[in-house]
Amino acid sequence: MTSRVQDKAPPRSEEMQQWVDENIAEQVTRYEAIVKEMEELEPERVQWYREFLETVQTSGFNVNGDVRRKIPDEELPIEPDRKHKVIF
Amino acid sequence: MARPHIEPFVELNEDFKKFQVSGFRGSHYKTLSLDLATGACTLKVRFDGGFSRKPGLSYSDMELFVLTGSMKVGKEVYREGHYLHVPAGMAIKAIDVPDGCEALVMYNDSEPSFEESDKNHQLALKEGYVSVNAYADMPWAPGNVVQPSVASGCLLKLLRYDPLSEAMTFLYTLSPEFEQNNISYHDCAEESYHIWGTSWMLQFGDLPTGGYFWRPPYINHGSFRCKKGTIAFGRTDSKLHNYFHFNPWSNPDENMLRAAAHLYRQRPQMFQWVATEGHNHPHGPMDFEHKDYQSDRHILDIHGHHHHHDD
Repeated sequence: MTSRVQDKAPPRSEEMQQWVDENIAEQVTRYEAIVKEMEELEPERVQWYREFLETVQTSGFNVNGDVRRKIPDEELPIEPDRKHKVIF
Repeated sequence: MARPHIEPFVELNEDFKKFQVSGFRGSHYKTLSLDLATGACTLKVRFDGGFSRKPGLSYSDMELFVLTGSMKVGKEVYREGHYLHVPAGMAIKAIDVPDGCEALVMYNDSEPSFEESDKNHQLALKEGYVSVNAYADMPWAPGNVVQPSVASGCLLKLLRYDPLSEAMTFLYTLSPEFEQNNISYHDCAEESYHIWGTSWMLQFGDLPTGGYFWRPPYINHGSFRCKKGTIAFGRTDSKLHNYFHFNPWSNPDENMLRAAAHLYRQRPQMFQWVATEGHNHPHGPMDFEHKDYQSDRHILDIHGHHHHHDD
């Protein structure tokens, strides 16, 4: 395989390793906070989903660009029996 | 490991931190997202008035977008809206920031790095260099460069396009009263920073000025609303295809299966070759045109093959 500049990087300095470690810890903490925040939004989201499913039946679903199709009742999705998540 | 799903994150609510690392002293930063394995990251950096740095290079591809203020790089002055893509190993001239500047700074392959040098590394792919003022030097184009397309009212300026992965860096704007009634997901990771304005997505609610997300592939987002207009900076890490649907409860595994069904319908020969003939190319099949693409750092990263230094 061709050698790349990235393969020639010197080892991380101690100060850079410390920076990376601190930032990894911060990312993990932030991710957990976002998961919690988004779970707390669930009651509002339930209402938003209800309104969205009404909109695609009345104004229509954007198939491509501004082309819309009104979704009939029989095509509407059914909520599965599992915990709903928006952050993965 | 890759970057965690960070969505939404409003950086204006956070304080800057001192950048206490060689090559960056005299600046402050906020980390917007970071790859837990490689240290690749997107930062908002505040270069304080008086910041200066000698010519030098990074061992990572680096992108920069000036949000406010200006910076002098050699004899050129980069003002608000200036975009740079500097390939790994390419030396950039001395930086001076007399009056302060804020920028998005992205290291795509590894943690931030700086080595003083006025010469390019011998392996630098300097043809990949991009320098353009996205506000002044480029027209807005319709968002329908990708089909199926976003609704009209979403406009783009394509700042960088990677021909190997079809990764893109772009500015986009949503017009006032923008509305798009579908749920979308992509095969690529997607990133956005709101320079100005608030838009709304069905799963996450409002994303205001200073709002940011890094979203891994196959995650539902949208429908979309924007009341007063938004201008934002965005990136993808590979080809963006809009998979639209109206099932708010589908999960990434189901979305990926649906994407595979799309491949089955639309590229039948390729699907057969990949899925049913037992080909096993963990580092990618041969490409007679791009013989070395398997060692491209970005291609390795998007396949989750993390790298080790030669030395």
